[in-house]
Order: sequence, then structure tokens, then C-alpha cells
Amino acid sequence: MRWVRFAVLIVVVTVLQASYIDMVSFKNIKPDLLLILMVFFSIYCNTFDAIITSFAIGFAADIIGPAMGPGIISFGLIGTLLANLRRVITITKMPYQSLAIFTCGVFIGLLVVFLAFLKKQPTAQNVYSVLFWTSLYSAVIGPFLFLPTAWLMRMKIQRFGH
Amino acid sequence: MRKATNEQRDTVMARKLIRVSKKMVFTWAMLAGLIILFAPQSMTNKFQFAFSRIFHWPLSIGRNFTLLARTQDSPSDVVPRFEYAKLENHLSNLTKLLEQEHQKVERLSGLRSKFGLVGAKLVCADVITAILEGPRNELMLNRGQNDGLAKGQYVLGINNIIGVISEVTPKQAKVKLVTDRTSSMESEVTGLKTVLKGNGGNCAKVPLMSLEHKIKAGDIVYACKKPGLLEVPIMIGKVTMCKRDTQKPQLLDITVEPSCDVAGLTSVDVITMNP
Repeated sequence: MRWVRFAVLIVVVTVLQASYIDMVSFKNIKPDLLLILMVFFSIYCNTFDAIITSFAIGFAADIIGPAMGPGIISFGLIGTLLANLRRVITITKMPYQSLAIFTCGVFIGLLVVFLAFLKKQPTAQNVYSVLFWTSLYSAVIGPFLFLPTAWLMRMKIQRFGH
Repeated sequence: MRKATNEQRDTVMARKLIRVSKKMVFTWAMLAGLIILFAPQSMTNKFQFAFSRIFHWPLSIGRNFTLLARTQDSPSDVVPRFEYAKLENHLSNLTKLLEQEHQKVERLSGLRSKFGLVGAKLVCADVITAILEGPRNELMLNRGQNDGLAKGQYVLGINNIIGVISEVTPKQAKVKLVTDRTSSMESEVTGLKTVLKGNGGNCAKVPLMSLEHKIKAGDIVYACKKPGLLEVPIMIGKVTMCKRDTQKPQLLDITVEPSCDVAGLTSVDVITMNP
């Protein structure tokens, strides 16, 4: 794992997610680039690196989020689970990657809502609808971003069935 | 292939040297996450302020790009509507001010009075980031304690109150908009004192208003005056919907929307002193 490249990539993606992502929003639904990145590293890194990257991405999500804490825990937990699950199931085909992003997005969102509730943070009335559409949007574009991310990280990825 | 193998070997060697297992890393990271989660928000917010201070430049550029993209989408709304909203809000403020002045003249004739915000110290601040999604409605400003900003001060959009300063550092400040779910602001609608509660999604609600009150769509909502912070009532927004509450039929369901496009604001004014 090239950690300097990873740090630069996280910073760039966090700035993009905080300020530039509105340009590709559709009816206020935006893709979650940090979620896509977390799934990418959980799929293609070894478990040890996947744990560290998941928590680091969660921390980045917290920095641009409403409160500190819910992101780091939920990203870290779900990222670690996905990294361990990858030892049993191979997630190399694009539809499976989409499904992984969607499922992770939903579970991370639900955990964030629960932790925000514990922290007495307000939640939107239509939070579940936003959660669903954000995860779906991320799942649609996510696998297409895996290739440039792998190139930036100088990682070799395998795709079967294409 | 050989390069990748060497890299893996280096990683394993490094891990062996510092003797860290996966379980230990996970446990420590979770512990750190829990500490951050339950630490006071005033402490953890420093990370967010630091991020927006360090990346102020790319964040501002991104925001300008987004605004540019939005204005290109609706070219007919660009200047005239903004100017119209600005003047309309100013007119509403002046009308209310005039009404108040008349009352003052009637009651306290002979005493010297001041005109609205004349004499108030206004600090112009640029908007670094605007978060207007879901329950969280906030702006990050590029001014802070060093410029005289303090918690609780009112923030003006285009001649209307859009929120109050909720957190402040020496160089930056966070504005909690009136539409934020945790916002509640003393306000006045058709002469009735009430509290305007943020509802998220660029709207606010006037709670606990009984059916007997004659409130209708289009009525103007003003921020109540607060000695030292706001000397005259200033417009917040307009009632956009007023109907019987479906859950509590004896009450009204009143929706208020800010009278300016907060998402399109690039700069705001903070009332730092209103003598």
C-alpha cells in the first residue's frame, strides 16, 4: 500500500465531496465518493490495510459531515466487515461491486443515523429516502471509478466476465 | 509481479517489526472513533474548522463553480430576481421600521431614536462552504473572533436575517441558518410574538399557533429585536403555506421560507454591534 498516495487521494476526494460534488447532483441526490473509495480499498487491499483505510475514510467523512464520530465508526465497521467478507466472496464483477457499494451505503447510512441519534444530532425527515438514492447513485457510478483509482494508487485489479 | 511480492514482504516485515495485529488496529481505531463521538462538539469541531481553513482556497473555487453551473442552468433568474428580492426585503424592513417608528413617536415623543441599522457595525464575510441539505443548514464564513464576530450575532443575507453565529474561531465562524433543524429564533408574524423553528430543507415552521390567529401565505416573518444585537425587527422570510395541522387539528401548520436564495449567497453581513 502506498500510504502517501492514499493520503493525497483522500484529501483530494474529501475536497471534491465537500465542494464540487454539487455539480453532478441530480434533484439534490449526490454520489458519495468516500463510500466508493472505502469499498474499493476493502475489496482490493489486504484486511490489515482495509481496516486502516476504512477508518481513515470515515474520519474524512466526519470532517465534512455534520458531526465528528458517526462516520469514523460506521465506515470503519462496515469497511472491516467487507474486507473480511471478501475472503469468502470474490467481488470482481461490476454488478457485484455495485451491489457492495449500495449495501455498504445503506448500512453505513443507517449506522450514521443511529449514532447521530445517540449524539442528539437532528436528522432529516426524508433521511431514508436520501440514503437510498445516494447509495444507488454511488452504486451506479462507483465501479467506473475503480479503474482510475487503481491507476492512481498503482494497484492491479482484476475484473472477470467483461 | 516481483515488485508486488517485494511490497507485500515489506508490509509484512514492517508489521512484524512493530508487532501490530489486525484485531489490535481495529480495536484502537474503534476506541478512537468512540472517543471522538462522545467528546464535546466544541473540541471535535476544531478538526472541521482546521480542514476548511487549510483548504479554504479549493473549497471556495468549488463553491463558485457550483454557483456558476447553477446560474447557467437558469439564465433568466440571474440578476433581476436577486435585485428584486433584495429591494423587496428592504421594503419590508423599512415598512416594519416605519410602523415601529410611528408607535415610538406616539408613545415616546421627544426621545431620540436611531434608524434601523444605521450605526450598527457590519462585518462583511465571504461564504467558504454552504451546507443546505437535510437537517443541517449551515454556512462557514471566512471571518472570526479577530474581526469582532461572536456567538449569537445575527447574520444578514440580502437585507434579511438568515441565521446566527453558532460557533466561532479566531479566523472563521459557523452560521446556523434559521432553517437548521436545531435553530429556534424569536420572531414575529402579523404582530404575534412566536418562535421560528428550523425544519431543514430550506424551510422553517412556526409551531403552536392556534387556529384563531389570522395568518395567511405571504405574511412576513420578522426576527424580534434583541438589545445589543438587533435594535429593530428585520425580515426573515415569508409564510409560504398555512393550513390546519393534520396531527394536531386545533393548531396551524405554518411553513416559512427565507426571502433570499441562501444557496446562492457568496457573502453575508454580520451585525457585530448594534448600539
